[in-house]
Amino acid sequence: MQVTVGISEMKVSSNPEDTLITYSLGSCIGVALFDPDARVGGLIHCMLPLSRLDPAKAKQNPHMFTDTGVPTLIQNVLDRGGARKRIVAKVAGAASPLNDNGMFKIGERNYTVLRKVLWKNEILIAAEEVGGTVARTLVLNIATGKTTIRSGGAEREL
Amino acid sequence: MSQREDILARVSAITALPTSAMQMLDLAGDPDTQIEDVQRTVEYDPGLVTNLLRLANSAYFGTGTAISSVREAVVRLGFKRVFQIAMTSSIAPIAQREIRGYDLPRNGLLRHSAATALAVEYLPKRLSMRVPDATYTAGLLHDIGKIVLGTYLEVSSAPIVIKAYRENLSFELAEQQVLGTDHAEVGAALLEYWKLPQTVVDSVRWHHDPNQYPHKDKTVVDLVHVGEHVARICGTSSSTDGMNYAVCIESIDRLKIVPDMLEIVANDVLGSLEEICSIFN
Repeated sequence: MQVTVGISEMKVSSNPEDTLITYSLGSCIGVALFDPDARVGGLIHCMLPLSRLDPAKAKQNPHMFTDTGVPTLIQNVLDRGGARKRIVAKVAGAASPLNDNGMFKIGERNYTVLRKVLWKNEILIAAEEVGGTVARTLVLNIATGKTTIRSGGAEREL
Repeated sequence: MSQREDILARVSAITALPTSAMQMLDLAGDPDTQIEDVQRTVEYDPGLVTNLLRLANSAYFGTGTAISSVREAVVRLGFKRVFQIAMTSSIAPIAQREIRGYDLPRNGLLRHSAATALAVEYLPKRLSMRVPDATYTAGLLHDIGKIVLGTYLEVSSAPIVIKAYRENLSFELAEQQVLGTDHAEVGAALLEYWKLPQTVVDSVRWHHDPNQYPHKDKTVVDLVHVGEHVARICGTSSSTDGMNYAVCIESIDRLKIVPDMLEIVANDVLGSLEEICSIFN
């Protein structure tokens, strides 16, 4: 089944029939985690870097912010039998407008915060496609762990 | 006739603004408008009555106490708000449609338009500025040209996107090179035909290039320009054009925006966006 992960949402699955998909990542960041032994994976679409902007909202929906959403994703994958040392992390998004003069650093900051969270959790980024101005769709196949990116009408494996 | 002239000439044949919205525009321009005139216009359109009452009771537009009649809505919210709600309600059915040519899914443009309309009101509040009257409407309608091009004229954005990324052009410049015009010019032509206020028409026309705006006070066009970027931060960019637009640094300077403010306003917008969009679903 194709499971759509909306903006500020997270989905975790161990059903080999599932494909997790998140659309139109602009400055937002998308993270796909997969444990190839436990055959469990998860996908999140975070919008803003830091939850300190609105702690009440972060409590209500931790997936909106990278610093609260990604740890929740990791924990959910671990709860379903995943192991930190086996988790493969793939990342897409973090775009910014043209010649923004540093005003719209949200994409870049999302990416920086993400790296910090993954580093703390001893998870390495296996592959990524971040930055630029393009909007990306990120897809995780739970049967195979294969992660693909769609943008500008083309599709490629990440 | 050039392709640009052909496209602009076809704008008027495309779609009409609902009668109630046209009457509201007339009322907005008439200093003698009475509450009864507004009430009668709204009550003539059952769909507008439903949406007006829903929006009037939303956290964003509402006053905290329940509003149960059109008259109460006009008295309590004021004509300016009722006019904005009428415009939102009129535009929603066409902005909700899938726009194939621009690869916008159902509700895609409505979300982006509503997010921009909210951003252009939250921005001046955070900047401790007065919100100019035309701002909300200009924010709401800024991308209406995409509906004209992508739906009615069946333009495909594929060659535009290829050109933009290949030649490192912003999306509207690539549109100009492929079509001879862009969604901002087409949108402004439609709004002019619908007789929207000149500030709204000109702000939509120049929302990607506010420095070209032909009036001294550029507040509305600057707000729409920055507000649309905020709407993209909120995840409402489409899969075709993404974030592929340039930032007008002069707009940022004129509005005296500091970097953190954009995230704060994005968070404000997200607090109201779902509620506004869900009213139309």
